[in-house]
Amino acid sequence: MDDRKNAIEVEDVHLSYQCLQAFPLRKSIFSLKKSKVEKYEALRGISFGVKKGEIVGVIGRNGSGKSTLLKAIAGIFAPDQGTITLATPSVSLLSIGVGFQRKLTGRENVMLSGMLLGFSEQQILEKMDEIIEFAEIGSFIDRPVKTYSSGMFSKLAFSITAVLETDIMLIDEILSVGDTKFKKKSYEKMKELIFDKNRTVMIVSHNPDTVRQLCTSVLWIHEGKVRMQGDVETVLEAYEGEA
Amino acid sequence: MGRFFRDIKKYYKYAIYSGRAGLKAEVANSRLSWLWWILDPLLFMIIYWFLSQIVFGQRTRYYMVFVFIGLNMWDFFQKSIVTNVRVVTNNSSIVTKVYLPKFILVLIEMFKYGFRMAIAFGLVGVMMILYRVRITWKILFVLPIFFTLFLLVFGISCIVAHFGVFIEDLQNVAAVGMRLLFYISGVFYEIEPKLKGISRIPGTLADIMIQWNPISFLITQCREALIYAGNINLTMLCFWMAVGFLLSAIGVFLIYKYEKDYVKVI
Repeated sequence: MDDRKNAIEVEDVHLSYQCLQAFPLRKSIFSLKKSKVEKYEALRGISFGVKKGEIVGVIGRNGSGKSTLLKAIAGIFAPDQGTITLATPSVSLLSIGVGFQRKLTGRENVMLSGMLLGFSEQQILEKMDEIIEFAEIGSFIDRPVKTYSSGMFSKLAFSITAVLETDIMLIDEILSVGDTKFKKKSYEKMKELIFDKNRTVMIVSHNPDTVRQLCTSVLWIHEGKVRMQGDVETVLEAYEGEA
Repeated sequence: MGRFFRDIKKYYKYAIYSGRAGLKAEVANSRLSWLWWILDPLLFMIIYWFLSQIVFGQRTRYYMVFVFIGLNMWDFFQKSIVTNVRVVTNNSSIVTKVYLPKFILVLIEMFKYGFRMAIAFGLVGVMMILYRVRITWKILFVLPIFFTLFLLVFGISCIVAHFGVFIEDLQNVAAVGMRLLFYISGVFYEIEPKLKGISRIPGTLADIMIQWNPISFLITQCREALIYAGNINLTMLCFWMAVGFLLSAIGVFLIYKYEKDYVKVI
């Protein structure tokens, strides 16, 4: 029996989107009848646990609630009902270039983005050289980001998230960026991060090969509910059989 | 309450860094750089001096300092509130990717405008020396006055930041409302003239305009403390401070309660 502690514990989580839209003031003044708000329940009572060090692939059709689930675990959405308990506050939803300001230098953007991801000034400074080296942008680090090519931009943005590691990593399809050489390098780096035994990872992917290569178990979400959870081959076979 | 202070402790460094970065980005391509933060109110001050003192023949003691204090406090009040109406939407690239208490975005904007105001207030000090303004212990009242100003701006900004997510044209409403408020707040004229002269505003109305309009009240009190060594209305100052606390509590409550819905709208 696996006696490792759960790093992520999700219990009976419900999350609805009210189909809210920003509306003009005129509409709110002149519409006497209160408009009916349409609700869409993205997660309908999801419960599961993820052990520390586990790499869980999250699969399911488009609109099944995979990304919503990851955002709820990252704390971007709060569940309407149910609880999400994390063993550590060190969690990040992998996203590149968050908080970037194009007029500032690469170095300043590393600080800005890192702090937004929850790292202290000191932690970022300690990792600064590693980020610059990994990004392969040399002296451009002290130039404004607006002067970067799109490739350089993504390399730097990726390096920040790849080097500033968290204990729980949530990945929504971003595994590699940049040109062919950097793509390979970034994919290798991602693999290195994912396979770290102390890290718990959840990866949303539509690619069964990626899931087979990287994951130790799979969670199949269907219409906002857990359809199946278990070892990679069993769940993927059932999923592919239905698709 | 506890959560609010925990979040402040967790994110204040980011707020300061981001505010500083924003200020830097603002002047990055400007030749006069941060001097614009002084030049902007300075140029308006000259315009109002011309209109008020030359065209309309008003006589106001230390007029330059008088109007500069008003303009700087007004700019902070108006720009912070109007910008914060769209602060969540304008930062959609952040709020859709990481969790950040949304009042931190409000504080970042306030930090930017607050810093600009502080720089411009340096010039107020220079002007006071040039005018040989008599400085008394009453200058200390600027601390509670500015504290009240920050509280009110924070409270109002949080509330408008919340509604600004859902109501598209709230920024236009805020801009028009602010324009109206500007003209009735005595930013560039005296609501109650200190020197002998004819006041065009009846006494009761003047009282209402000063006491019951928070920005007008705070500007008037700041001028009393800095340049006229006059009496500070402590009762009303406490009242507006309490209103500031109340509005801040309402604003933070609204943000905490509904912030998870913002991402769904923007």
